[in-house]
Amino acid sequence: MKAILALTILAVLIMFFGVRKMKKVLLPLLFVGLTFTMILNVMDWNTSVHYFNEMFIADNFSIAFSSILILIGILIFMFANIYYKGVERPLEDIYALILFALIGGIVMASFGNLILFFVGLETLSISFYVLAGSKKFDIASNEAAMKYFLTGSFATGFLLFGIALVYGVSGSFNLEAINSYVIANNGSVPMLFITGMLLIFVGMSFKIAAVPFHFWSPDVYTGSPTLITAFMTTAGKVASIAAFYRLISIAFISLHAELVPTLAVISVATIIIGNLSAVYQDNLKRMFAYSGVAQSGYLLMVMIVLGPKSAGILLFFVLSYVIATITAFAVLMLIREERGTFFIPAFRGLAKNNPVEAFAMAIAMMSLAGIPPLAGFMAKYNLFALAAEGGYTWLVVVAIIGSMISIYFYFKPILASYFSEGEPQHKIESSINFKFNIILCTILMIVLGFLPKLIINLL
Amino acid sequence: MIFSKYLFFILSFIAIYAALKVLISKKPMHSVLYLTLAFFAIGGHYILLNAQFLAVVHIIVYAGAIMVLFIYTVMLLNLNIQGEFPKTRLTAIASAIAGGLLLTVLIAVFRTYDLKMAADPSLNQIGLVKNLGKVLFEEYYLPFELSSILFLAAMVGAVMLGKKDIY
Repeated sequence: MKAILALTILAVLIMFFGVRKMKKVLLPLLFVGLTFTMILNVMDWNTSVHYFNEMFIADNFSIAFSSILILIGILIFMFANIYYKGVERPLEDIYALILFALIGGIVMASFGNLILFFVGLETLSISFYVLAGSKKFDIASNEAAMKYFLTGSFATGFLLFGIALVYGVSGSFNLEAINSYVIANNGSVPMLFITGMLLIFVGMSFKIAAVPFHFWSPDVYTGSPTLITAFMTTAGKVASIAAFYRLISIAFISLHAELVPTLAVISVATIIIGNLSAVYQDNLKRMFAYSGVAQSGYLLMVMIVLGPKSAGILLFFVLSYVIATITAFAVLMLIREERGTFFIPAFRGLAKNNPVEAFAMAIAMMSLAGIPPLAGFMAKYNLFALAAEGGYTWLVVVAIIGSMISIYFYFKPILASYFSEGEPQHKIESSINFKFNIILCTILMIVLGFLPKLIINLL
Repeated sequence: MIFSKYLFFILSFIAIYAALKVLISKKPMHSVLYLTLAFFAIGGHYILLNAQFLAVVHIIVYAGAIMVLFIYTVMLLNLNIQGEFPKTRLTAIASAIAGGLLLTVLIAVFRTYDLKMAADPSLNQIGLVKNLGKVLFEEYYLPFELSSILFLAAMVGAVMLGKKDIY
């Protein structure tokens, strides 16, 4: 709750300073503000306060996911001055929209009422629609914004219809009240309720880009400005998956056994199709979009298993995904600026001339692919162990096959930068600032790989 | 009571007919005008439910502001040309099947659910401005306030897209 207030004030301040053309103030103010927000957010740990008639629940789950969202904000702004190098404008509106999206995400991680959930989702989505089109004279960016807006509004319509049906049957928007309605009926709820629930799932599957509803993601993620793509893939996924987990683990927990087949089909299809489609991509940005689809499939596995440890594993998985993705996008950003392309040959000879960037990219890719001892491996290991404990061995087998496919495409840029033959490309000049940020992320990925229990046992 | 029942059926018929015409009409302007008709019919339903405030707001916002915006856009962009959208047979068949399946499921689901008889709406005071305000500012205070952030985001976005800079 305090985090939302702090972020709102910060966004308004940013816009104010932007209008006064105080460009130099913006980024330092953002870092101070976001750090302050993070401290405010973490201070509520273990208090579990319920605000405004159970509307907003600041339990440990929501605080942990809100902290990840704020961390995403900090990481994105660390690379903002590199991506927007040479732009004269203070860019206050883009920064403010990123903060608004974070507010929406925090609401989605901590709602206790479906109305608040919907408001948070819309705040996140509308900021994303605009941000996707923020490179105004680029036709791909326009296309991305338009596609995202149309398909996203359509999916939101399904979600809203689902919420209406669930409300119509259970008589309440409150998550706990919905669950007690199901318990009062001994789980034999009318089909209208189930239909509403499935329509909500359609909306959520769209937001996390799970398979039958993933077609928007490659085009949108390829067309958007790279920094915004990095923000959308991470923040959007974290917020949506947290909201999805909240819905399933509080409101629909008593119906979980009936939901498992649906979720399992979506999860398996997402893992297989996401990974297989990524194999065929030459454009790295597009490949990341499909790899994001595949990662959603792994995240959905948590919803299927759902035990006392599942929230912690979800948290760790999301954290490792966020750091690896942002690092990879940062290197991609640098290469795109210098070489003008997102294709694999742009990486040729990167290791010789830019060892730091090549190493960071390699670590990020290996973490995403799940190579020990990195964070991504520990995340996948714990997730698969959880699924195997819950008796879903076949699901683990599918997930491992998916991971093995993913190694092929995640290693493409590594092979190009370390082992490619032919004339290496010229050296890319990067600032000390950029190198420092990248090294920080790389260290985080390696350290997290050795301390997974620290994060998992938080929840 | 009998009268309001007939009114309900008449309004429902108008709403569904207008909504269908929105989709069927070839000319965009006709679609827009039929949409206005549909909004008015739904506004009538709100009055039948004794929700005057909602009815008035619905007509002011949808039939008033949004429809005027639509009509202006259609006229200014000169979209009032009869045209077929480029649709292949495959997408038409696929969307008909998908939409039809959803429709079938919804009809089946609503048939099996015994909708409870609503209490006499004229005795129900929830739709009056005073009660609505109480619910909004007590129970739903936080979503109400947070929607201001939503509108602020939309406004900032609109201004940003309207500027002529590259970023």
